[in-house]
Amino acid sequence: MKSPSRPFPVGTSLLRSNHCSESWRRGLVLPFLKWRNLLARKQNARLDKQNDLGWKLFGKLPLRENAQKDSKKIQKEYEDKAGRPSKPPSPKQNVRKNLDFEPLSTTALILEDRPANLPAKPADEAQKHRQQYEEMVVQAKKRELKEAQRRKRQLEERCRLEESIGNAALTWNNEILPNWETMWCSRKVRDLWWQGIPPSVRGKVWSLAIGNELNITHELFDICLARAKERWRSLSTGGSELENEDASFPAADREASLELIKLDISRTFPNLCIFQQGGPYHDMLHSILGAYTCYRPDVGYVQGMSFIAAVLILNLDTEDAFIAFSNLLNKPCQMAFFRVDHGLMLTYFAAFEVFFEENLPKLFAHFKKNNLTPDIYLIDWIFTLYSKSLPLDLACRIWDVFCRDGEEFLFRTALGVLKLFEDILTKMDFIHMAQLLTRLPDHLPAEEFFACIATIQMQSRNKKWAQVLAALQKDSRETEKGSPPPRH
Amino acid sequence: MAKQYDVLFRLLLIGDSGVGKTCLLCRFTDNEFHSSHISTIGVDFKMKTIEVDGIKVRIQIWDTAGQERYQTITKQYYRRAQGIFLVYDISSERSYQHIMKWVSDVDEYAPEGVQKILIGNKADEEQKRQVGREQGQQLAKEYGMDFYETSACTNLNIKESFTRLTELVLQAHRKELDGVRTRASNEMALAELEEDESKPEGPANSSKTCWC
Repeated sequence: MKSPSRPFPVGTSLLRSNHCSESWRRGLVLPFLKWRNLLARKQNARLDKQNDLGWKLFGKLPLRENAQKDSKKIQKEYEDKAGRPSKPPSPKQNVRKNLDFEPLSTTALILEDRPANLPAKPADEAQKHRQQYEEMVVQAKKRELKEAQRRKRQLEERCRLEESIGNAALTWNNEILPNWETMWCSRKVRDLWWQGIPPSVRGKVWSLAIGNELNITHELFDICLARAKERWRSLSTGGSELENEDASFPAADREASLELIKLDISRTFPNLCIFQQGGPYHDMLHSILGAYTCYRPDVGYVQGMSFIAAVLILNLDTEDAFIAFSNLLNKPCQMAFFRVDHGLMLTYFAAFEVFFEENLPKLFAHFKKNNLTPDIYLIDWIFTLYSKSLPLDLACRIWDVFCRDGEEFLFRTALGVLKLFEDILTKMDFIHMAQLLTRLPDHLPAEEFFACIATIQMQSRNKKWAQVLAALQKDSRETEKGSPPPRH
Repeated sequence: MAKQYDVLFRLLLIGDSGVGKTCLLCRFTDNEFHSSHISTIGVDFKMKTIEVDGIKVRIQIWDTAGQERYQTITKQYYRRAQGIFLVYDISSERSYQHIMKWVSDVDEYAPEGVQKILIGNKADEEQKRQVGREQGQQLAKEYGMDFYETSACTNLNIKESFTRLTELVLQAHRKELDGVRTRASNEMALAELEEDESKPEGPANSSKTCWC
C-alpha cells in the first residue's frame, strides 16, 4: 500500500445506500469511524426533530417550523400563570447545540389550562396535575440525562479505541515493519497481532505474512489481465472460437467461467454496494478474478474466490491484491478446497474432528448423534475465509491471525464459533443447528468470540495440527493403495 | 409437548449457478425477494411446515451451490433427499441444456424413489426468454417429471411447486403414510418418523424406501 491511511471512498455510497444500516453493520468499522460519527450525528439530528414533533402532538400544538421556540414561549406563559417568576432563558440553552449533555425537548411538554369554554378545574385538582406534570418533566429529564451519559461513554470508548489503534499503527509502522524479518515472530509482535492489525497497516502486514513464493510481479499481472481482457472482448463479440492455446480447457468451460465471474461479482458483499456494476471496486474485482483464471487455468474461477479477492481489494492496491490472492490460494489448504480435491478435503474435516472432539466433547457427541457433518458448515467458512459468514471487521481480524498462524487458525476459529454457541447448539436439532451455523447471527460479540478462540487448544495427545493432518493423510493414502477406497 | 409436525422431508434444490435457487427458496419460506443475492457456497438451509392432505409436513430445504466444481461436494447430499427440484433459468439456454447432466447425477447419487420436479425459473423475464415453455414441458415429460415455470420475483407458482413436490413425496411414501393416518391420534408414533437423522446413512440404508 502506498499511503498509510487509505481514504475509504465507500462512505459516501454507504450514506446514500438504501441498505445503509445493513452495509454499515457489515462494514469495516475502523476506517469508517469518522463516517459513523457523521452518520450518528445525522441520525441524532433527525431523532431530535422527531422528538419535537412528538411533543408537539402531545401538547396539541399546531405544527410550526420552530417548535422549541414556541414551547418556550408557552412554558413561560404557564410559569406566569403559576405565579412563579419567569427566569430568563438559561445561557446554557443557547449553547445547547454544542453540548451533548443538555437534555433536549422536555421543555416542549406543556401543561395547559382547560379551554375557557369549559368550567375551570378545582384548585386541588389543578395542583395535583401540576405536580404530575412536574414529575413527568423530571422523569423525562432523567431519562435524557441517562441517554446523554450513555452517548458520552460511547464516545469516550470510541476515542480510546481510536487512540489505541493510532498507537498500534505507530508501533507497526515505526518498529515492526522496518524490521519485519527479525521481529515478526517475536512474542511482542505476536501479542499485538492478536489484538488486530490497525486498518492502515493491515494490507502491508498481510502482504508480508502471505509472502510471494510464486514470485509474481506487477508485469505478470498486467500480462494476465491483458489476456483476460482479450477473452472478454472475443466473448462479447460473439467469437467464442478462441485460439487453442490450452486445449485441455475447453472454450465452453472458460466461457462459462467468465460469465460466472460476472454473475458472482454482483453477488459479492451486495450490501456494501461497492463491487456491483458501476461501483468503485467493480473493475478491480473483475480484473483480479479474470487475471487469475488466465494465470491458473488449471484452477480457474471457483465460487468463494470473489469474496477473498474482495477483502484483499479493501486493503491493498490491485496489483498487490493479485499477488496476495494468488499466493494465498496456493497454500495447501486453499488448493485442496478450490480444486475440490474431495479426498484431501475429507482429511481436513477428519483432522478438524479430532480437535473438535478433544476441545468440545459434549457438542461433538451431539453433532454425531444428529449426523451434522463438518462439511455442512466448514465449506462456506473455509472457502471464503469467513468473509461471507462473519461481519467484515471480525473477518478481517480472523484474517490477521490466519496470516500469522496459517491454516490451523481457520479450523481453530471454527471451533471458536462452536464454542461460542455451544450452549444453544446443544439444545438444537439438526436443521436448527445447520441453519445457525450456515447463517451466523449478524452481531457477534468480538471480544467474547476471540476469548472462545483463545481457549481452543490445537494440541491433541501432544500432536499439533500439522502432525495430525499428516498422519491422517498418510492413512488415507495407504487405504487408497491397499483396498479400493470406500465411496463417501 | 405436542409435535409441531407429523412428518419430516428433505428437499434439495439443484441447478446451474445463478438460476435463482436461493431466490425461489426465500420467496417460499420468507415471502421475500431480493434481486441482489449473495452467492451460495456449499449448502444453505431453510425449513417450513406446510399442511398437505391434513398432514403437517415439515420440509427441510437444502439449497446448494450451483457451480460445477462444487458438485463433488453437493452430490454427497443427494442421498439424504426425498425430493429434488431441478432448476433452470428460462433466459439461459445453457442452464436448460445442463438439466440432462443434473438428472443423470441424481440418478446416480440419489436414493431410488426420489421425487423430482422440473422448474423453469425467472418466468417474469419474458423479453429475455431463451427456452420456450414447450421445451420445458417436453423435457419434463421425457424424464417423467412435473413441470412448473416459476418466478420468485412475481411470486408465480412458488407455493404450487413446493406443495406439489411435497405431495409427490407423500404419495411415494404412501405406505408409511397410511401408518401415520391410522395412528393419527397417537402423537408419539408420528414423532418417531423424524428420528432418522440419528441413523447412520450408509448406501444400504438410503436405498430402502424409508423416510430418510
